[in-house]
Amino acid sequence: MSRTDSAAAAAETASGTEVVLAVRGLGAGYGRKRVVHDVSLALGEREVLLMLGHNGAGKTTLLRAIFGLGKPMGGSVSYHGRDITGRKAAENVTDGLAYVPQGHGVFRTLSVADNLELGGFVEPRSALLAERRERVFELFPILAERRSQTAGTLSGGQQQMLAIGMALMHEPRVILLDEPSIGLAPNLVERVMQAVVTINRTMGVAILMVEQNVQLSLPIAQRALVLKTGAVVYDGPPDPLRDHVELMKLF
Amino acid sequence: MDLFLQLFFNGLTNGSYYALLGVGFGLIFATTKIVHFAYGPIFACAAYAAWWAASLGVPLPLAGVFAVAVAAVLGVASFLVIYRPIQVRGAPGLVALIASLGLFILLENLLGIVFGAGNKVIENVNYDVFFLGPVFFTSIHLWQIASLAILGGALFLFLRYTRFGKAIVAMTDNREMAEIIGIDTTRMAIAVFAIGSALSAVPAVLILLKDGATTHMGFQAVFMAFVTVVVGGIGSIRGAVVGGFALGLVQSLGLWKIPTEWQSSIAFVVLFLILVARPQGLFGASRL
Repeated sequence: MSRTDSAAAAAETASGTEVVLAVRGLGAGYGRKRVVHDVSLALGEREVLLMLGHNGAGKTTLLRAIFGLGKPMGGSVSYHGRDITGRKAAENVTDGLAYVPQGHGVFRTLSVADNLELGGFVEPRSALLAERRERVFELFPILAERRSQTAGTLSGGQQQMLAIGMALMHEPRVILLDEPSIGLAPNLVERVMQAVVTINRTMGVAILMVEQNVQLSLPIAQRALVLKTGAVVYDGPPDPLRDHVELMKLF
Repeated sequence: MDLFLQLFFNGLTNGSYYALLGVGFGLIFATTKIVHFAYGPIFACAAYAAWWAASLGVPLPLAGVFAVAVAAVLGVASFLVIYRPIQVRGAPGLVALIASLGLFILLENLLGIVFGAGNKVIENVNYDVFFLGPVFFTSIHLWQIASLAILGGALFLFLRYTRFGKAIVAMTDNREMAEIIGIDTTRMAIAVFAIGSALSAVPAVLILLKDGATTHMGFQAVFMAFVTVVVGGIGSIRGAVVGGFALGLVQSLGLWKIPTEWQSSIAFVVLFLILVARPQGLFGASRL
């Protein structure tokens, strides 16, 4: 407990910004099986925090537990200093916390336009939604072209852009982004990473991103965190990880 | 030829009846993934509610409104009291299915205890009789067709063009994603049980006027709704409409060449053939 807490505290001072999302001693899993053990982390304002780890390290389980999908097994999550542990997803969304799940985070049978509209479901003012949709179209012009197309017929990259666009429709302050590069061609991965940078730098959104593509995701992160078998084994600046010989062992 | 035309018209009226039942049942199933067999006895309860109100002297349209309310309340109650606790505990879908069969038996027997056996009919119902060439029909037949057109159309517009309706469709597509973007899926499920059950009350009242009500009438209703939905494709309104008409017409036209006692077997044969040829149903879930 104290070890991980101090690690998180050190990270806070290192990034020098206010903490928007703080996780303390969080445990999570499925049924009785515990996948994540005593994880602590802190996401600073306007920060991109990259979470690395091998398959089955518990990255997705951790993001889901933070977002309130599935009950956390001990520990706490706070957002802007308020406790939100296990809170309903709908409340998180209204409060500016968004989650983009891995893979097909879209409604496949609905059109691109309907998907975006639903992304803004918690915001009933349609004028605001139109404004936000224009911003999404600016970021991903391809979505404007395909707006009446069914989401299931989009390419993998376009579906990922749409999924991120849906999260932007509720104008979040924090996005939990689960492996946006999965299954994408390298040039599309770059395109998606550029978008992540824009969302972070221009819109000022803090991002907790899970990735396996170390090469393309490390450069855009201000800080990185490595998860191994459900526990944090590294939390600090991304640079030391860049040509870390131990990296292979971590995964 | 005269017989064919009459059978064709009967098929259309029965088809609209099945289609409307299928739309309500299918809406509940597609959205919540619950096979709500108790839909049948709730349909029967709606018919009994209308009969009871009418027998107390309540005017027929008001008795119909009462039936719709009773069905909606029972539908929502079955979700909140039976299905939801099961889902919250993470039980597999089979448990909810068994629970729905239990609820089916319970409600059907309660109807028998409260109202007794025997056919309940509303005396002195005034309806018009029409002859269109060789085809005979009554205003109740016309209401069966009109109710599908009005309610099915209204539901389609609601789901297609309103914010709330789109949220229901989204939940049908991907329940977890619906939750992630902030849709309160429990509230949507309650709404869907209310709407689906209320829809079933309308054909229930029409059947009450046409043939009367019995405690067992729910079985045929939910069975036909089930076949209609499977034939048409789960999660599709136009699929349910096409499935309902297909079932009604095949059943009715079958009588042209096949003896009457085979009529209900025809439904099974249609179901079987469709499942073999198109397991996803005529429409699949890809279109509303």
